[in-house]
Amino acid sequence: MTDIAFYTLSALAIWSGWRVFRVDSMIRATFALMVSFISVAGIALLMSADYIGVATVFMMAVEMMVMALFMVMFMMNPAGLNPMQMVHQYRFSIGAGIVAFIGLSVAVLATNLPHNPLPAGRDTMRDLGIELLGASMLIFETAGVTLLATMLGAVALSSRNGRFGNSEEGALPPGLHPGGTPAGRKVEKGGGHGGHGGHGGHGGHGGHGDHGMKESDKAGDKGDTDAGHMHHHAPAPDEDHQHTPKKEH
Amino acid sequence: MSFPVAFLIMLVFLLFGIALAAILDGVIYRRIAGRPGIPVLMPFYRAAAHLSRQRIETEAPDRLNWFLAIGGYIAVGAVGLAVVPLGPESAVIGIKTSVVLWGACEALVVVLVFLHGWSPNSPLALIGAYRYVAIGLPIMLLSMFVLIAAALPAQSLDLREIVISQEDIWNVIRQPLGLPLFLLLGLSLTLRGPFDYADSTDLAGGTAAEDSGAYRAGWQVARLTMLVGFSAVAATAFLGGYLGPVLPGPVWLALKTLVVMVLVIGLSHLLARMPVARMLGLIWKVLLPIAFVDLLLAGLVALA
Repeated sequence: MTDIAFYTLSALAIWSGWRVFRVDSMIRATFALMVSFISVAGIALLMSADYIGVATVFMMAVEMMVMALFMVMFMMNPAGLNPMQMVHQYRFSIGAGIVAFIGLSVAVLATNLPHNPLPAGRDTMRDLGIELLGASMLIFETAGVTLLATMLGAVALSSRNGRFGNSEEGALPPGLHPGGTPAGRKVEKGGGHGGHGGHGGHGGHGGHGDHGMKESDKAGDKGDTDAGHMHHHAPAPDEDHQHTPKKEH
Repeated sequence: MSFPVAFLIMLVFLLFGIALAAILDGVIYRRIAGRPGIPVLMPFYRAAAHLSRQRIETEAPDRLNWFLAIGGYIAVGAVGLAVVPLGPESAVIGIKTSVVLWGACEALVVVLVFLHGWSPNSPLALIGAYRYVAIGLPIMLLSMFVLIAAALPAQSLDLREIVISQEDIWNVIRQPLGLPLFLLLGLSLTLRGPFDYADSTDLAGGTAAEDSGAYRAGWQVARLTMLVGFSAVAATAFLGGYLGPVLPGPVWLALKTLVVMVLVIGLSHLLARMPVARMLGLIWKVLLPIAFVDLLLAGLVALA
């Protein structure tokens, strides 16, 4: 019975993990990943890790929801419904995948995995609590503070009155000296920014023409409405794509 | 009580609960609006009408997620009911972390309502989905605080232990802030009244705008299932669950669940809805600190 459950959950975890890379939408990919994690949580339940198993379901549901929301917000793909390629940098990712697979397989095969069934009536939650607030406290607290800082950063980035003023009025970082030109990235000359994440490292970016077009359209519209405001930091504006390169990629 | 018996009682409980909730919704709405009559059969006529109609699909929907959202919403509501103990040592899902399991169900509701609005590929449904996520996530944090506070006197995350810890005094008296805050969460979980940012009429039905035929009936049943599940959990965590004199345990549980259900339905028709931004401010700046005070007080009492 436990074996059947284990194999079913494992198969589901692997299948949904594979789907993450085969579907064509950020939302589908996110929730496929959630299903994969929840299957692993089920396996944790089979291993009598009650709390960790159930808490994983809880955390992953919230986490994936937040992740989907932020991805859609930052990627300018309003619904996450526009089909987009979820995979890029093929050669590098294939190489990384093979290396990771070999590494993990070696680790699993070489480790002498413990085989000590839990005595009946053992309170695993109590053990976990003592571990969390005892020997491992420093690790978990460090991770907690790091995550908190990340959350604050995400909120600062996404809020309307962000770090450098109201985003609807065209927020710019202040100058390095009083009255100086705005600091931060300077606008490059010319347009033709195809939205391709050539410099890589931008997780989950579709990097496709269709996507890039949308962004430049949007930026173009903005340029029309408050062009006067923007001009002082765009030295020689190109006719069509004057503000496109302002986007960070 | 053996597992099959408990399971059977839960099933009957659920079906009666759904029917009763649908009837109560109509009756309470009419009472508040000052209209006479008790429309007992109305919800059943409406369900039959939905079921007999054909289903209309939007252009390029995500069929799998659409179906899973409705089915999943029913499932998490039913799990909520299943963790509730009917008597000592007789919950359908009797695990030591049942409060956390209920928390996981709450979290999954946000995901499922979002998917329900996302999958039809239609603007109004999508707006409803995003609005709901913005409100549904912070209101869930609030419920974590009050549930942990309710678990503190029992020194256990098991709802069975939490009921036993209420033998002398119910949590609703011991922690007066808990139940009112938890009821707000119930409004959000069942997409009702002031927290109905997903399915409200200003979006022509929001996430349910594109539901038709059996899916429309299914989604309404799912919301009612969640209402029953939530009411049972609230009655157990704050009103002593199956505890009570003379009558058998399950009857007490049913009565208390009914009280919570009437409260939630009444509130959903009495309270006004506010803009999303103001509601977010209210949740983060007022309700969450109150919930934290609730947890703090419970913690201090536990230490004393």
